[in-house]
Amino acid sequence: MMLAQEAAGEGGRLVTLILFGLMVAATLGITVWASRNTRTATDFHSGGRGFSPLQNGLAIGSDYMSAASFLGIAGIIALFGYDGFLYSIGFLVAWLVALLLVAELLRNSGRYTMGDVLSYRMRQRPVRTAAAVSTVVVSIFYLLAQMVGAGALIALLLGIQPGETFLGMSAEVAKIVGIVVVGLLMTTYVTLGGMKGTTWVQIVKAVILMSGAALLTLLTLSVYGFNLGALMNDAAGASEAGAAFLEPGLRFGVEVAGDPVQTMWNKLDLISLGLALVLGTAGLPHILIRFYTVPDSQSARKSVNWGIGIIGAFYLMTLVLGFGAAALVGHQAIRDQNPAGNTAAPQLAQTVGETVGGPIAGSVLLALIASAAFAAILSTVAGLVIASSSSLAHDFYNSVLRGGKASGLEEVRVARITAMAIGTVAVVLAVFAQGLNVAFLVALAFAVAASANLPTLLLSLFWKRFNTAGALAGIYGGLIGAVGLVFFSPVVSGSENALIPGADFAWFPIANPALVSVPLGLLCAVVGTLTSKERDFDQFARLQVRALTGAGAEKAADH
Amino acid sequence: MATDKQTGSPPPSGGGETTRDAAFVEMHRDPRFVELKRRLYVFVFPMSLAFLAWYLLYVLMSAFARDLMGTVLFGTVNVALVFGVLQFVTTFGIAVLYTFYARRRLDGLATELRAELPTTLEEDHR
Repeated sequence: MMLAQEAAGEGGRLVTLILFGLMVAATLGITVWASRNTRTATDFHSGGRGFSPLQNGLAIGSDYMSAASFLGIAGIIALFGYDGFLYSIGFLVAWLVALLLVAELLRNSGRYTMGDVLSYRMRQRPVRTAAAVSTVVVSIFYLLAQMVGAGALIALLLGIQPGETFLGMSAEVAKIVGIVVVGLLMTTYVTLGGMKGTTWVQIVKAVILMSGAALLTLLTLSVYGFNLGALMNDAAGASEAGAAFLEPGLRFGVEVAGDPVQTMWNKLDLISLGLALVLGTAGLPHILIRFYTVPDSQSARKSVNWGIGIIGAFYLMTLVLGFGAAALVGHQAIRDQNPAGNTAAPQLAQTVGETVGGPIAGSVLLALIASAAFAAILSTVAGLVIASSSSLAHDFYNSVLRGGKASGLEEVRVARITAMAIGTVAVVLAVFAQGLNVAFLVALAFAVAASANLPTLLLSLFWKRFNTAGALAGIYGGLIGAVGLVFFSPVVSGSENALIPGADFAWFPIANPALVSVPLGLLCAVVGTLTSKERDFDQFARLQVRALTGAGAEKAADH
Repeated sequence: MATDKQTGSPPPSGGGETTRDAAFVEMHRDPRFVELKRRLYVFVFPMSLAFLAWYLLYVLMSAFARDLMGTVLFGTVNVALVFGVLQFVTTFGIAVLYTFYARRRLDGLATELRAELPTTLEEDHR
C-alpha cells in the first residue's frame, strides 16, 4: 500500500482533505455568485450565451476530462500500455465530427437543447419527447458511471483501505458518504448556479487539472532527464509484457490462444468501441448544449478548436503519466491499490514527489493530483445534471406538457426541481449500484449517443426528405438497439465480470454494440422516413438558412 | 436582460406563411445561398469521410495488423506509436485547415446573406 497515510502519515491525508475543502468552498462561492446573475431561462440553460471561446473551450475540456477519463486512461496506459492511448485517440478524433458537422449549425438553429434542433422541422410533441428520453438516458448512464466511481475514488484518494476506519467510517461507509457528498454538491451547483455556475466550476476544474497534469508530466520527464525514449523503455521493461507493452492488443481485441472465434469477437469488439468513441461525442447532450453558451457560431467553432487543443494536450500528458506510473510505481504496487489501475496517476504523483523533493513533497503532490481528480468528478457530473434537467424542463415540460406556453421563469423553476430530482435519483441508484461493475455504462452512453442522437441530428440538418416518423424511428431504434444489445451481451450476463454473474442469457457476443446499433439507428431513421408521407421542404429551407447564415440565431443576453 | 422575452419554445402557429418566413424560404433558393451551401458541403463531407477512413484504418490495423504495428522504427518508437501520434497531428491539422477555410470561404458570404434576412423569425414551429 503506497498512498499517503503510510508514507507521510496522517499529515498527507490532512493536506488532501484541506485541499478538497478549499475546492468545495471555492466552487460553492462561484455558484452563489452565479445564482445572483441567473434570472432568465437563457441564463439558466445557456449561461447567458456570454462565454468567450477560450472559456467555453476549457469547459468543453472539463466536461470531457472526467475523473474516469483522467484516472481511467492513465490507469489503462499504466497497466496495459499502448491500448490506453488507443482509447484517447478515439476520444480526440471524435471532436472533428463535432467541429465540421455539428457545432456551428447547432448553435445557429437551436436555443437550449439538442431537442430544439431535432424537432425544428418535425411535429413538436413526439420528437421532443424522444429527444428528452434519449438525453436523460445518455446522461443518466454517464452520470451513474461517474457517481459509482466517485465513491470508490474518493475513498482511494483519501487512502481509506478496506478494513480501516476514517473519522469513524469504514471504507464501505466512506464510499457511500462520498457518493452523497458528490450528489449534494452537483445538485447545488446546477440548482443555484445554472449553466453559469456549472460553466465556471468547469473552467476552474480545467485549469486545476491541466496545471496539475502538466506539473506531474514535467516532473516525471525530469526524472528521466526529459528522455521520453528512456521512460518508455523503462515502462516496457518494468511491465509484465515487455515490448508488447508498447503495441496494441493487451487490453482491447485480445488474442485468445487456441480460440480463433473468441479472438475474432474480441477484435470486432475493439472496432465497435472505436466506432462508438468517434461517433458518440457529437451526440452527447451535455457536450452539445455547451455550444449554446457562446455568442455566435464563430465562437462555437473557436471553442471547439480550444477544446481540441486542450483535450489533445491532456491526452498526450496522460501517455507520459501512464508510462511513468508503469516505470516508477510498478504494476504490482498499482494493482495492490486498485486492480483497475485507477490510482496510477495519484501514486505516480507521490513517487515522483518523493524522488524530486522528499516525503513532504510526495504528500503535497499527491494531495494536489487527488484534488484535481476530485474537481474532475464534481464538474463532469454537474454538466450531466444540467443537460438532463434543461431537456426535461424545456423539451418535455414546456413543449410537450404546456404546448410551449410556459414562461421563462416557470421553465427555470421546473429545471431547478428536475435537477434536484435527477440528483436524488442518481445518488440512490449509485448507492445501490456501487457494488456492481458499471464501468461499461460510459461506453454505452457513447454508443447510444452515436446510434440514436448523431444520425437523427445529421439527417435533420442535411436531408431534405427527413420527417417526424424518421426522427422517432431513428432515436428509438438506435436507443433500443444499443441498450438491448448490451443487455444480451457478456457485459450483463454469462461471463465472470458480468453485471448479473449468476445468469446467462447472453447471445450477442461483443460488449460494445456500436458496430451493429449505429447502422441500425441510421437504417431505422431512413426506413421510418420513407414509410411516412410527411414532408415540409419550406421548414427544411428555414432550418438550413438559419443554420448556415446565422440569421435569427439566439443572441447573447445583454447584461 | 430584455432579450429573453420569448423564452420557451414558440407556440404553434396555424401554419400561415408570413413575410419573414417567406424571406427564409426565398433565401434557400438564392444562388448565393446555394453557393454557400456548396462551399460548406465540398469541404465538410469529403473531409469527414477522409478522417473517418483514416481513423478506421488505424483501428483496423490495431486489431488485425499487429505485426506491422509492432515494427520498431528506431529506439522504442514503433509503427503503432507513430500512427497514433499521426492521428493527433491530422486532428489538429484538419481543425486548423477548416478554420482557415471557414474564415476565407464561408464567414463573409454568411454575414452578407444574414444582413439581408430578418433578425428574428416569426413563429416557425408548428
